[in-house]
Amino acid sequence: MNDPVVLVVDDSPTVRKIVQLTLQREHMRVITASDGLSALAAVADEEPDLILLDIMLPRMDGYNICRIIRDKMEFRHIPVIMLSGKDGLFDKVRGRLAGSSEYLTKPFDSVELVQSVKKHLANAPVRERRRDSERNISRLRRRG
Amino acid sequence: MQQHGRILDGDLETLGLQATLKMLALSGKTGTLIVTSGQETLSLYLQKGQIAALQEQSSSSADLIEMIRLLGRMDRQVAARFRSMADQPSAVLLDAFVQYRIISEAEMLQRLEFRIIQALSRALRWQQGHFEFHRNVLSCEIPLALNVDHVLLESLRQADEWDEALETGLNRTTVARWMPEFDGDVRRLGLEKDQINVLCLANGQLTVQAIAYGLLISEAHVALAMAHLLELGLIEVVDEALEAELERNLIRVLTTSQHELSKQPQGGADQRLLVLIKALATCTNGLLNHHGQYARELRGRGAMHPRQIARYLEESFGPLLGQVQARWPIFETVAFTQGQLDCQEILALNTLVKGEQLQDFYWDVVDGLYWLMKQICTTIVRDEIGNSRSGRQFLDLWRTFLHEIDEEIARNQGRGGPGNAAQRPGGGPGGSRDDPFRESNPRMRQAESDPRVAQVRERRRM
Repeated sequence: MNDPVVLVVDDSPTVRKIVQLTLQREHMRVITASDGLSALAAVADEEPDLILLDIMLPRMDGYNICRIIRDKMEFRHIPVIMLSGKDGLFDKVRGRLAGSSEYLTKPFDSVELVQSVKKHLANAPVRERRRDSERNISRLRRRG
Repeated sequence: MQQHGRILDGDLETLGLQATLKMLALSGKTGTLIVTSGQETLSLYLQKGQIAALQEQSSSSADLIEMIRLLGRMDRQVAARFRSMADQPSAVLLDAFVQYRIISEAEMLQRLEFRIIQALSRALRWQQGHFEFHRNVLSCEIPLALNVDHVLLESLRQADEWDEALETGLNRTTVARWMPEFDGDVRRLGLEKDQINVLCLANGQLTVQAIAYGLLISEAHVALAMAHLLELGLIEVVDEALEAELERNLIRVLTTSQHELSKQPQGGADQRLLVLIKALATCTNGLLNHHGQYARELRGRGAMHPRQIARYLEESFGPLLGQVQARWPIFETVAFTQGQLDCQEILALNTLVKGEQLQDFYWDVVDGLYWLMKQICTTIVRDEIGNSRSGRQFLDLWRTFLHEIDEEIARNQGRGGPGNAAQRPGGGPGGSRDDPFRESNPRMRQAESDPRVAQVRERRRM
């Protein structure tokens, strides 16, 4: 059960299903959330290896979710790929400022999506080490 | 495998598998013989010079459950219960079958022996490769005690048979599936029992190798039966590369249509309905465009002129558009242009009519496009993918997309649209089973002799 876990956050069931079908074929475990708050709950519960995040979401938008994830020491290592229908430069910059690792625009190509996801997951060993060292740092801080 | 456990090793070019096995049998050895050739590996466990077990591939158990079900030896519910054992070695599964009296103990032993013969008949043809014999003991749930000479003879016979079957052009990994178009009476074709069984198991997922194991007949026999069924047009060979490409293209159509659907318009109900119409039109034209590339009739004909493709699409789907036009007269403003539905007149309706009348027209367009889109999807999935795994996966995705459209329609109706959800054609892509037009729909009846359409046409002329 070492398959990477990808969280897909999108209010469209079609998009969730398409991404799920595409990534499962690449031997990834896909979990889904349809709104901002359930996304944060899923991040806390499952600690996914990567998050695919829509911007326009009910209850909390993608920028805010990304910001919250980046503010949390234990989750900030998780790559966040924004997957949005907004393709303006302003939106992309806003996504970057919120801490996203990459910005993909809808309608997306499934091959391009897989490539991006794999690219970010390929950093997993580095990320694992970073996660361990961050945990160690926070443990030391707590002791100190 | 650890170095210290190795007793013997060598190349197949120097010492063939047959000779190696006979030598190990004669000296009454116990241990595991591992033979590798390219990507393929065979592991046989010998106990005192007799073959006791074969290390198996993990997928065979799932295939076996499905084959037993397809052959009518257990029903769907029982098969579903056994599927939790799909990742178990097939010996464990066979043992469970015996316990539940699905197969006899004799058949279980026959199946275990058959797998070994099948694997060996394949390995005996390897010209190059490497073998190692280790002291390590393989875990085996049901140890056999098969005579090496007997197994070798049977394996060689199957290997020879396969050489004769090579002219069929099929191989052990060939997968075939039922042709959806066949509507004749299979009983009148004079098929033999094995051919009927192969036909039953040609579900688009099982390989020649798996079917041979399921029916306990040689792979060559399966390949010959399959070749006969192909000739009769009862089955077709599944082209995985083509299906992957085709599925990717269909997914692209849905991604684009969903993107269109998710656009949030500035303005009132008319604008929101227009977004829905654009999404439906995008999807319908996307499906038509897709079918122009992958229709079965157009495959293998080399590069075709776009005009030929357009003619094919218009001939295939023109009658459907005719039905829609008969039911929703607003569609008389829609025509096929280069194999695509030209909806420009509909998209510009707001320049001619306003208010309630515009919304009524828009709802008719939604109803008509929704029905047409579903019919086109049903036709192309049946034609291109049929009842294959990718076909079923796409249909699952398609239902999700339809559900999202249904929700969008319901939201629009809630915002003051005229109809109610029950008046629309609904359901999955198997729409042909439904009454396509819902005679009870008052809006549709009204549309049949709709003077407003004439009015729009008149204004357009002016």
